[in-house]
Amino acid sequence: MRGETTTPYWFVAPAAIMLVVILGFPAVTAILESAGLGGKTGFPDFRAYGRLFTDPQFGATALNTVIFVGVVVTMHVVIGMAIALLLNLEMPGRWLFRVIAILPWTMPDVIGGLIFRFIFDTLSGGVNAVLLRTGLMAQPYDWLGHPHWSLFAVIMAEVWRGYPYVMLILLAGLQAVPRDQYEAAAIDGAGRIRTFVSITLPNLRTVLIIAVVLDIVWETRLFGMIYGMTGGGPGYATQNLSLFVYKNYFQFFETTYASSIAVVLAAVLLAAAMPYLRLTLRRQD
Amino acid sequence: MTRTNLGPWIVTYAALAAMAAYNLAPFLWMLTSSFKTDMEVTQIPATILPHSFTADAYVRIFAQEGFLKYFLNSAKVSGATAILSATVGIFAAYGFSRFEFRGRTVLIAAFLASQMLPGVLLVGPYFRLLSTAGLYDTHLGLILAQTSITLPFTVWMLKGYIDTIPVEIEQAAMIDGASRLQCLWYCILPNILPGLVATMVFAFLLAWGDLLWALCLITDPDKQTMTLGITNLVGQFRVLWSDVMAATVIGCTIPACFYLLLQRYLVQGSAGSAVKG
Repeated sequence: MRGETTTPYWFVAPAAIMLVVILGFPAVTAILESAGLGGKTGFPDFRAYGRLFTDPQFGATALNTVIFVGVVVTMHVVIGMAIALLLNLEMPGRWLFRVIAILPWTMPDVIGGLIFRFIFDTLSGGVNAVLLRTGLMAQPYDWLGHPHWSLFAVIMAEVWRGYPYVMLILLAGLQAVPRDQYEAAAIDGAGRIRTFVSITLPNLRTVLIIAVVLDIVWETRLFGMIYGMTGGGPGYATQNLSLFVYKNYFQFFETTYASSIAVVLAAVLLAAAMPYLRLTLRRQD
Repeated sequence: MTRTNLGPWIVTYAALAAMAAYNLAPFLWMLTSSFKTDMEVTQIPATILPHSFTADAYVRIFAQEGFLKYFLNSAKVSGATAILSATVGIFAAYGFSRFEFRGRTVLIAAFLASQMLPGVLLVGPYFRLLSTAGLYDTHLGLILAQTSITLPFTVWMLKGYIDTIPVEIEQAAMIDGASRLQCLWYCILPNILPGLVATMVFAFLLAWGDLLWALCLITDPDKQTMTLGITNLVGQFRVLWSDVMAATVIGCTIPACFYLLLQRYLVQGSAGSAVKG
């Protein structure tokens, strides 16, 4: 529609201005703060970034984050794909399983963290109760007090809570696969595995990229789940980068250092999101 | 489905039953624990199924811990966030959907990319910003902060719905002399009403489930949100898990009900346009 040169700007302006004020401004402030310019002018000072390379806690935290995100996203895709394939079948009672399949994802992440903290609790937790009562274990074990087991427990909790969304995206993708392709494969005598590899997977490519990218972004910046479940502990065994930034900023008042970590984290997330952004923008033309 | 080949179906149902058990187990643990007595919830090892049911934990969190207030605070903040982001968002969504203009792609990219930013990048500067503006420790400040998260995806989701409405309806209306705003109000809004409601509910739930912003921007116990109140229950020296679980049951119920009602719209939010292909 032509002849309306300024109209679109009137429509977009309120949201765009708001985006600048409540999002752009804090983001720029964070960058300035990371360069030691929080609240004062002068020459930028990037020493905080140098500290990233020498701080062993940053290294350990970054490694935690990579392990956590790597395992969680992989498990989400594997479980999500399996359940999506099952729920894509026509069968009686499917709606009930669909409802149940979504439930974990509806739980606010901090609440999920608290519930799993209780499940893995030493004295009154469910895991120990089952193991003790079945005789598989003689003494209660402090799962969340052990550096490796606690990371494992946090991963288990987030695998549980987050997979339904990946499953839903994949299920929507499965339902968009043209039926005639399956029919053609059946006529050619392709088996189940062959059909999955040659028909289903190629059709799901875009959807899969989007699901993985979004999940990587969400799991990397996850905060409430870990805060509620372990608070990053024991020590910093389960601490991820979001928690590290929060603690530095609001507990240790190391605002410059915290901002530099946050800026690096933001840059990594934007880079990771590029495939999604590019795919989505291409569809806008 | 032929009678002769039941094997695969048994496997399918068994797998789905396993999925259901896996998904429901933590919910059941939460529910049953919330109804246990003080004595039983501290028993070692824990009982898998409660021996006796009591609603004491629920009475305590409402009567002593002020959860009614937290609940209302959360409802107020999340509700205002949903209304604010939908009101501002609908205009931008309409603009992006119906016009070609210079800077459109850049703006859309900015809206999309801003959804990828980590909350911890913004929350520190936000804390300073609100302190300067005198909005620290106020619900208004928290609402604005939540809106910075919900606005971009609200715009995106609403644009997706408006895209599905044929332009011809508006063209006819404009020939009859309708203005753009009238088009939006009379032609678009009635047609995307379910989508608008779904978008608002998602914004509501995003704010409802948030911990980070409330944790950093609210200190007054009277202004605490639900999630913050629950977290602080555990922060105390001795954790009475039946109380915590009763609080989590209440914190979970609203999102679970809303999401189940809105199942159809679930994927639309961030991945919809890609799935639609």
